[in-house]
Amino acid sequence: MIPTRRAAYLAAGLMLAAACAGPAATPTPAPTAAPTATPPASTAVCDNLPAGSEGDLLATICERGSIVMSTDPAYPPQSELTSDGKYQGFDISVGQEIADRLGVELTFETPPWDVLTAGSWNERWDFSVGSMTITSDRQEVIDFTQPYYYTPAQMAVRADSGITDLAGLAGKVICVGEGTTYLFWLEGTLDFGTETPQTTPPEGATATTLPTDRDCAEAWRSGREDFDGWLSSATTVADAVADGLPVVAVGDPVFHEPLAAAFDRSGPDHDQLLSAIDAIFGDMHADGTLSALSNQWFGSDLTQKT
Amino acid sequence: MTLDHHGQLLAPVDSQLVPPSAPIIEQIRRAKSKATLRFRIVFLATWLAIIGTLALALAGSFDGGFVSEWLGYILGGVGITVLVSVVSIAFAVVFAMLGALGRLSNHASIYAAASLYVSLVRGTPLLVQIFFVYYALPEVLPPVAKVPGIYLGILALSFNYGAYMTEIFRAGIQAVPRGQSEAAQALGMPERTVLRRIVLPQAIRIVIPAIGNEFIAMIKDSSLVSVVAVQELLWRARRAGAQDFNTFEALTIAALVYWALTIAFSLVQDRLEKRMARGDR
Repeated sequence: MIPTRRAAYLAAGLMLAAACAGPAATPTPAPTAAPTATPPASTAVCDNLPAGSEGDLLATICERGSIVMSTDPAYPPQSELTSDGKYQGFDISVGQEIADRLGVELTFETPPWDVLTAGSWNERWDFSVGSMTITSDRQEVIDFTQPYYYTPAQMAVRADSGITDLAGLAGKVICVGEGTTYLFWLEGTLDFGTETPQTTPPEGATATTLPTDRDCAEAWRSGREDFDGWLSSATTVADAVADGLPVVAVGDPVFHEPLAAAFDRSGPDHDQLLSAIDAIFGDMHADGTLSALSNQWFGSDLTQKT
Repeated sequence: MTLDHHGQLLAPVDSQLVPPSAPIIEQIRRAKSKATLRFRIVFLATWLAIIGTLALALAGSFDGGFVSEWLGYILGGVGITVLVSVVSIAFAVVFAMLGALGRLSNHASIYAAASLYVSLVRGTPLLVQIFFVYYALPEVLPPVAKVPGIYLGILALSFNYGAYMTEIFRAGIQAVPRGQSEAAQALGMPERTVLRRIVLPQAIRIVIPAIGNEFIAMIKDSSLVSVVAVQELLWRARRAGAQDFNTFEALTIAALVYWALTIAFSLVQDRLEKRMARGDR
């Protein structure tokens, strides 16, 4: 009996040692406070709840005192990490501004992109300020606010490829992020409703996907040559160029996409919260907040429809 | 003494046994320890040479600034990696114990259920199981959707490892000599008590080294739960690397940290096994 009991103690000791080996685990990093102006408290939406908001997500988050936003810090400069584990970026600042004007705290969840666009969030988070393009397909599962900015979709090639225009990518392979509008455009299924872009992909070009847009540029950096083109947001391409990657933009933007905050159609009632955030976006467009944030993070004003 | 490969020492000389003189034995002992020392020196030198060459070859493309800025953030994931591994192995032991008892059961339906568990889980990839629990399970079981990724990751890991460890536990239970349970039964102990008091304690002792091995494998496989947004070591390394296109540096750091973790836990396991072996004398 004694050796067995000793073995049990040893096993317990091993488990305990293992448990103590790492620093304390915190699954969710603390939210970052963005450097934005807080409006006077009396104008906060939660302090002036409209009639009939009972049962709406708006009442829920006001009561809870916090709103959970989805983000993935793999998309600088929209959502990025600081080395102490906090989030920052254009989308984070916009989300913080929305939370401030609602009068609640902002917290984050970090689901993968394809989970976000597929809907059925099951209340894991309340909304997305994740530069999501409004498309007809997504509208079947996602409810969108008005656009808060517009990004040009930019084609890029390796600096040493010798390709100088879009036509040069005819018959070539183009890398895009999984589940992105860039993939839909290459496949010919991109549909913004009435504002569907009229441009067409280079003749015979095919798509290959990696988990995120930036992985394509990263693959080029490491010397891979399995594809010749990379289609992503102009902001992402510019960021890659600024980081010294062997990437150049070719041709004019192939389309401009409207980006909006998103809600899960199958989630709890959110009409009131959606229109509250819609109104906040209207104010932020009008009072220059969005333009200022765009200039801060992108170096240009992308808030006007082109 | 293992002098068998120096056969001439033990062989009869002039058809009579001559005991080897003390100085010769001493000489052999010294030669052997010298050979052992030389082996260790060459071993160490080879490691240093290979690692040094690799380090020099890679240093050119390695951005040191990334390490100083992000190492702390990435190491912050070690706690979650170890936590996920420890909790998962603990639950895996429970699954394995149930699975093993099922596999040893005389009831056809219990045996069948346990066999199906082992076959199904071992016959499908762990990555598929993790995706399934996170993405597919909520479709049929809506409450699952509200469970954070870390719990679902632990569920998938422990369910998977439990199936592999079922066979380990079954072997462990079968390795307890029959005489043990027979003797207990002869004393009038009920079957359940025999299992709980006599068989299982001895079986667990037999399988503990194997659990250690599984735990070390678990540390590495826990990296798979990064795909369901668990912010462990690999998730943090991937995100840190994505900030300024430093995937190379980030993955190198992650690999070295996993390596260090497995070495550390191997050492713990070695000591544990030595302690256990003492009881067998």
